[in-house]
Amino acid sequence: MTLDAAVKRVHVIQGEYKVVTDPDVVLSTILGSCVAACMRDPVAGVGGINHFLLPGSAEAMSSGGDATRYGVHLMELLINGLLKKGARRDRLEAKIFGGAKTIARFSNVGEQNALFARRFLQDEGIPIVGESTGGEHGRKLEYWPVTGRARQYALTGVETQKTVAQEQRPVPAPKPADNSIEFF
Amino acid sequence: MSIAEKIKVLIVDDQVTSRLLLGEALQQLGFKQITVAADGEQGAKIMAQQPHHLVISDFNMPKMDGLGLLQAVRTNPATKKAAFIMLTAQGDRALVTKAAALGANNVLAKPFTIEKMRAAIEAVFGALK
Repeated sequence: MTLDAAVKRVHVIQGEYKVVTDPDVVLSTILGSCVAACMRDPVAGVGGINHFLLPGSAEAMSSGGDATRYGVHLMELLINGLLKKGARRDRLEAKIFGGAKTIARFSNVGEQNALFARRFLQDEGIPIVGESTGGEHGRKLEYWPVTGRARQYALTGVETQKTVAQEQRPVPAPKPADNSIEFF
Repeated sequence: MSIAEKIKVLIVDDQVTSRLLLGEALQQLGFKQITVAADGEQGAKIMAQQPHHLVISDFNMPKMDGLGLLQAVRTNPATKKAAFIMLTAQGDRALVTKAAALGANNVLAKPFTIEKMRAAIEAVFGALK
């Protein structure tokens, strides 16, 4: 818990992203197997995070798979949001958190998600300036997007289990077809 | 030779990963002649020098966005008949209206599925196989 009264806290849930330019805002999220990518442009003073969980089967994570397209989509939403608020792609830097190995039967999901984030950022040429992924405990993450400061607290075993239980419904695949815009 | 093999496609997206994914999806649909560009400006230059039958372009890009590219393609007599499919990460109605007014053949929301992509392309070129 932060004691700073002036801080405006904004919570980001799974499947969401937030971009802010207000230095008093702290973005927070709770991660089990999920991964959050924190990105900012230090010059423009804009930053944000996303929070995602891709299904971890090798098939789903294959490069041409729906899960990968979904993950890329969430990354792109965050990047587009940053660019819209004045960030420049060549100045972006990232930190990644989460991807805990929380329960045996989904043992590789967190790892796969962290791997996806790392690979995406490398492919896009966005430097990773900080990372805390893997491990057996979930994380409570706080990120000050404008300064790039990040702080995390390890969840207890019970908290981790609760968090992971809530993550049990990973968004399996892209939105259903009827969400697509189409005309003629 | 299938129809897909004969069609020259130009992919325009500022994200490396998105270009790779779209390229892979198109290969799965049987396309062989695929060129890539990193923004609208580069896409317009490629189209002017070497017209492609089909342009699949992202909307949100630096330098020249998808609408700018669409306009450039439609105003050049050599490329004005090319099929143009716009992709957008933000499902924005206003964008669809603008794209339609400028002559886009379709607008697909990301993340697209391969079947959606196939349907959008087949709506222009007929069955790919």
